Amino acid sequence: MPTLLGIFDSPTAVADSVRRLRGRGFSKLEVFSPAPFDEIEEAVDPKPSRVRVWTLVGGLLGVVTGYAMTIWMSLDWPIVIGGKPYASIPPYTVIAFELTVLFGGIFTLIGLLVVGRLPRIKLDPAYSARFSADEFGLVVECPDRDVSEVDGLLRAHHAKEVSLVDA
Amino acid sequence: MTPPPAAPVAALIRPTPQLRDAQTNRDVMAVFMERPGIGWLLLVLTCATILAAAGAWWLYQIYRGLGVVGYSHPIFWGAYIVTFVFWVGIAHAGTLISAILFLFRAKWRNAINRSAEAMTIFAVFTAQLFLGIHIGRIWKAYFILPYPNQRGLWVNFKSPLLWDTFAISTYTLISLIFLYVGLVPDLAVARDRTTGWRKALYGALSLGWQGTSRQWKAHTRTVLHLSGLATPLVLSVHSVVSWDFAMALVPTWHATIFAPYFVAGAIFSGFAMVLTVMIPTRRIFGLEHIITNYHFENMCRFLLLTSSIVGYAYLIEYFMAWYSADEFERTSFWLRTTGAYWLSTWIMLTCNAIVPQVFWFKKARTHVPTIFVVSTLINIGMWFERYVIICEGLSHEFNPAVWGHYTPHAGELLIVAGSFSFFSIFFLIFLKLFPVIPISEVKELEIHDRAHAHGGAH
Repeated sequence: MPTLLGIFDSPTAVADSVRRLRGRGFSKLEVFSPAPFDEIEEAVDPKPSRVRVWTLVGGLLGVVTGYAMTIWMSLDWPIVIGGKPYASIPPYTVIAFELTVLFGGIFTLIGLLVVGRLPRIKLDPAYSARFSADEFGLVVECPDRDVSEVDGLLRAHHAKEVSLVDA
Repeated sequence: MTPPPAAPVAALIRPTPQLRDAQTNRDVMAVFMERPGIGWLLLVLTCATILAAAGAWWLYQIYRGLGVVGYSHPIFWGAYIVTFVFWVGIAHAGTLISAILFLFRAKWRNAINRSAEAMTIFAVFTAQLFLGIHIGRIWKAYFILPYPNQRGLWVNFKSPLLWDTFAISTYTLISLIFLYVGLVPDLAVARDRTTGWRKALYGALSLGWQGTSRQWKAHTRTVLHLSGLATPLVLSVHSVVSWDFAMALVPTWHATIFAPYFVAGAIFSGFAMVLTVMIPTRRIFGLEHIITNYHFENMCRFLLLTSSIVGYAYLIEYFMAWYSADEFERTSFWLRTTGAYWLSTWIMLTCNAIVPQVFWFKKARTHVPTIFVVSTLINIGMWFERYVIICEGLSHEFNPAVWGHYTPHAGELLIVAGSFSFFSIFFLIFLKLFPVIPISEVKELEIHDRAHAHGGAH
């Protein structure tokens, strides 16, 4: 299937075209942008990002690890320190808190890699250095018969250039 | 059979465009792509020389033991722990700017957060170095970690030193992740504009980032969640460091105010260090239009706020010493102000609580030389604050028969100087290897402005 690439200057125009294209049933879309823009992300996929699940799971794992590790180690070789119980919750809360943040942070990073499909070895053929400057790229995959329609649609939404991407 | 496309495909063949690059890209790339000048080389060389001397002294100290710097009863915590706390404090500005100001949507942080984050990392590295230097028997440093061993013993999790280990290691890792996640899109910018070894380096580090909407969405969420995690972490790290002292019974240490007092002091010193480093950096690389006086003015407001909190804590300490009617507290505080440590105490009070009050005046907040002088004074004052707290406290414990006095040994001061070189070398290399301004965040603001200037869509 041919792939078309439209180049835009404004995030609003990209978001409008994405909505329009999706409305017309073209769902194989990819947007390249030099910076994050809510309107584009909202138009491409309104569902919240799943990174948050990773953060939550990491944090919970951290708090459980923190308490389990400290309590188990204190009981494994019991020594009375400062007349306190072997398993003293208040001081161990500090450790549990730190591990919550640590595991939460590491899992969030893993979440970014998984959700953002990183790392990738080869860059997309449609990608170019323009999109790390200040232009936006909208990549649409469509059947041959729709090329002119998509082309017209992109231009109608103020695409500066429209071109075919060689696979 | 599909019908041929109506528009002639030839018309759609992509022209080879001249790369029209964003202004921000050019500005920021210029900073780290330019060949390092003679000044940069000289600075690195000077730092390396001091660092080598400090390293040699450290080796000697490892060989002979901590006795060579004159540690003796009752003061075993000297300049090394002072400098450790100092650097941990410096490390607080980066994450505060990145995480807390991000959560408060303070957009002005965008121009400065990268350099502040980098400083955080290097300051934490420097601080951790001091744990190794301070313990003397460096080969036993791993005893602090809970690892399975033949004796079946575990570490004592009820000790603040253990909390410190966990807090500092977590802080190091989370700050690294924070810095790296923010760097990835900017490394992709660098990858697209370089050749040779730099392209290979940035290509590998940018993980094939392309700035797709999916990636950006995950990225903004990640930054948000990391901020949420890092905000309480920042507050916890210096609280835990303060508990290293407050959990002990030493007069002047054993106080509940220590955690907020130390956190405010950390943010105070961190912001001062960011200003001390950013003012020359901005000037050398001509980044006045990205890091504007507006940024400096806002940071001065922070300095004013935290200086006032710190000043309040100083006063409350004296008040509580008097109000508690505790003889040991009263004596120790009296000796702090009038005894052998009087000069250090007055340096601390003047530089931290009095001098920053000039920032009530807009003239001072917008006059760059004044900001530079004040921020440098604050750095000095904050080192002396830790010096006074730690060494004076240990000098005057309960029994006058075991009172003592401490003055830093030349070897210790050499290592302190070495730590500044260690920190500076990292920062200087960072300046020449990575984008010191967060490109995509600045660009985001620019594209928004452009859209508004043109009245909406285009």
